[in-house]
Amino acid sequence: MRNSIRAISAIARADFLERVRRYSFLLTLLFATLLGYAAATGRITIQLGGYRGVYTSAWMGALVAITTTCFVSLVGFYIVKNAIDRDRQTRVGQILAATPLSKSAYTLGKFVSNVAVLASMVVVLAIAGVLMQLFAGEDPHLDGVALLSPFLIVALPAMVLTAALAVLFETLPILRGGAGNVAWFFVWVMSIALPEITGRHWLDPMGVVTVSDSMMAGARAHIPGYKGDFAFTIVDKADKPAQIVQSFHWQGVPWNASQLILRLGWVGVAILLVLLAALLFDRFDSSRWFAPPVRRPKQPAVSSDEDVSAVAPLGGAVAGRSGAHLTPLSNSAPTNAFGRLFLAELRLAVKGLRWWWYAVVVGLLVAQFAAPLEVARGPILGTAWMWLVLVWSAMGARESRFGTEALLFSSAHILPRQLPACWLAGVAIAAIVGIGAGSRLLLAQGWPGLVPWLAGALFLPSLALALGVWSGTGKPFEGLLTALWYVGPMNHSRGIDFTGTGSGAQANHYALIYFGLSAVLVAAAVFGRARQLRAN
Amino acid sequence: MQLSVVKLSKTYGRDVHALRGVEVNLGPGVLGLLGPNGAGKSTLMRILATITRPSSGRVLWNDADIAGSPDALRNVLGYLPQDFGVYPNLNALEFLEYLAAVKGIAAGAARRRIGELLELVNLTDAAKRPLGGYSGGMRQRVGIAQALLNDPQLLIVDEPTAGLDPEERVRFRNLLSELSGERIVILSTHIVSDVEAVATSIAILAHGQLLAHGAPEALLASVSGKVWEVIVPSADMNALRQKHLISSTAHRSDGVHARVVADVAPGREARQLEPSLEDAYLAALAKQRSAANGIAA
Repeated sequence: MRNSIRAISAIARADFLERVRRYSFLLTLLFATLLGYAAATGRITIQLGGYRGVYTSAWMGALVAITTTCFVSLVGFYIVKNAIDRDRQTRVGQILAATPLSKSAYTLGKFVSNVAVLASMVVVLAIAGVLMQLFAGEDPHLDGVALLSPFLIVALPAMVLTAALAVLFETLPILRGGAGNVAWFFVWVMSIALPEITGRHWLDPMGVVTVSDSMMAGARAHIPGYKGDFAFTIVDKADKPAQIVQSFHWQGVPWNASQLILRLGWVGVAILLVLLAALLFDRFDSSRWFAPPVRRPKQPAVSSDEDVSAVAPLGGAVAGRSGAHLTPLSNSAPTNAFGRLFLAELRLAVKGLRWWWYAVVVGLLVAQFAAPLEVARGPILGTAWMWLVLVWSAMGARESRFGTEALLFSSAHILPRQLPACWLAGVAIAAIVGIGAGSRLLLAQGWPGLVPWLAGALFLPSLALALGVWSGTGKPFEGLLTALWYVGPMNHSRGIDFTGTGSGAQANHYALIYFGLSAVLVAAAVFGRARQLRAN
Repeated sequence: MQLSVVKLSKTYGRDVHALRGVEVNLGPGVLGLLGPNGAGKSTLMRILATITRPSSGRVLWNDADIAGSPDALRNVLGYLPQDFGVYPNLNALEFLEYLAAVKGIAAGAARRRIGELLELVNLTDAAKRPLGGYSGGMRQRVGIAQALLNDPQLLIVDEPTAGLDPEERVRFRNLLSELSGERIVILSTHIVSDVEAVATSIAILAHGQLLAHGAPEALLASVSGKVWEVIVPSADMNALRQKHLISSTAHRSDGVHARVVADVAPGREARQLEPSLEDAYLAALAKQRSAANGIAA
């Protein structure tokens, strides 16, 4: 038992140190600070039918704790979902797999490290909560328990659950990669909406409904004509601020034993999830699940054991000689060959996709031609482009992910050739997959009708390329596109809808913004890649 | 065709000196770059391959500074890094076609060249298998093929025989010899026998400093008359090791046959031997170590 605890703490400590010594950890804390700033400056608020209570310690604590559970759980998942993958990439996993370390100790260690990273963000936000109350000055009485208890009781269990789900996702091959990053968005939406969907308010992993129920009960007593509205929103400066009800001094959730046990129960659920992850964990042996889909040549057929030996060694059978016969290349300068590079990038982007992926594309194309135009250019086009998320998310990040930087970056004219070819391949794929809606818009509205479509087709690959180059991973794009798709095309939020639904001046106005954003993103990608080429 | 390295230094952070004032001039032929792990070989290779920038000093390709115009060198460069990746869903043919397009090689020439290279590295039969299913040695051969794609004038290979079996190693050495006629080949390794077989000149790097550079004969001459064989009982080996630099040992029925590098005979029974590059390499490292200890003392 003692050895297991030592192993868990050693795994957690090493993983945490490896993370906090990376530059990206500072960005993580910066994100938490920005969230705290947004809450402190009133950009994130809780409104009860256009009203709010006085900023007491309890209100501040609840506001920032809900901000933490909602935003940090969403983004934090993407931040921590790399603990096992890092061991896979660095090949440390192979060393660990050959030790007596148990799978449960390993996954628990990674889980503890995930919790530590997310908890560090909670601490930053808790400090923001204290500062926020001091600056707001609406209630001079600083009640430490009321202010900090929501972080401890609401936010931390949500973070613990997020940390466990990140470990579970990493142990399931199907959720390990981009599909898991997309799936997490829906799991996250579900985890917040679960109490409302099921009608069981105790089934509240994020704790938002527990807090909102208490606030709404207070509002009924203090706000005349209150109809039970609760909005946790990001407000714009142009929005009408919530009216303060001076008599409404909310003192926090009156936590009782059963509520506390329920919150603690989510920690138990998290530990069970980690133990489930231990059962599913392949211990860095991917063959335990299934062999990677390797397309064999038609002949000669060889078994996997023969793979290596079946191939003749370097240089063939000419003993003592290499057997080299290389025709010298002509002395002419290298050609531009941009067209070939573009086709090569296109092939690289779609290589490895299975037949069912193409079948879905065909289905979405048929739907674009068959559905009413407004549906075809909106949700269906949006979904068709969303379907490309894993194709686009490799853009700009592929070199880092597969370790081909040294091969590519030592080639001439890489910046003016390879990056544009990659970007153009992404745009071409957007155009091909969205050609149904595009051609119908062109026929129905002429070239002006095509402008918003074109803006979307340029914007998404540009976003993918910029995020890929700067982050070296597809995760930010996968998370962001999923969120944009859900808020935009699926929920018709103007401006965020990258398909440019709408007509006339407003659609063109947003299209112009997307063109501008695309230009900025492409410039950012070029700048980032130039920086990588000048690295070290 | 000339590659000149002028007072090249590379520092990581404040006090990690990977290279300290390295100077070397190279013409066509194979330079064997020897050095222990951490000597700075890979850093030097990465700087020469335009992947990393030096902290100070210059690298001149045909008298042009590569910091100012890296593409002039990249157009004629073949580089096999010590550690590189591949795209697992592409097969060898597609991967090489992709890199040929990246390097700007004309379509017809690229097709012919890729076919020849796949044959050369004996991957023709496996050319249409995804790279994700390749063994380490097969991947290394893909790496060798990509380095030769553009018929490079400067070929830089960093630990190229890692992952190759002994037979493949021998063939790769031969390949390098045959390629070296009209180009500069830089072979970085810590395996002396790889260098011994093919190098026309040898450089020894340790702690970021160039300890020696010259023809193999010159290096051998530096230990000429200083290599001895002594036969001692097993029990006396530790005492011998503490007194002398021992480059190899072999247990025989009459005792341990020790190959000793020393200015004077290590005993009355000592027999003088022909020096090998391994002896010269170890002697150079030992000399540098004792000089460093002297400074420290």
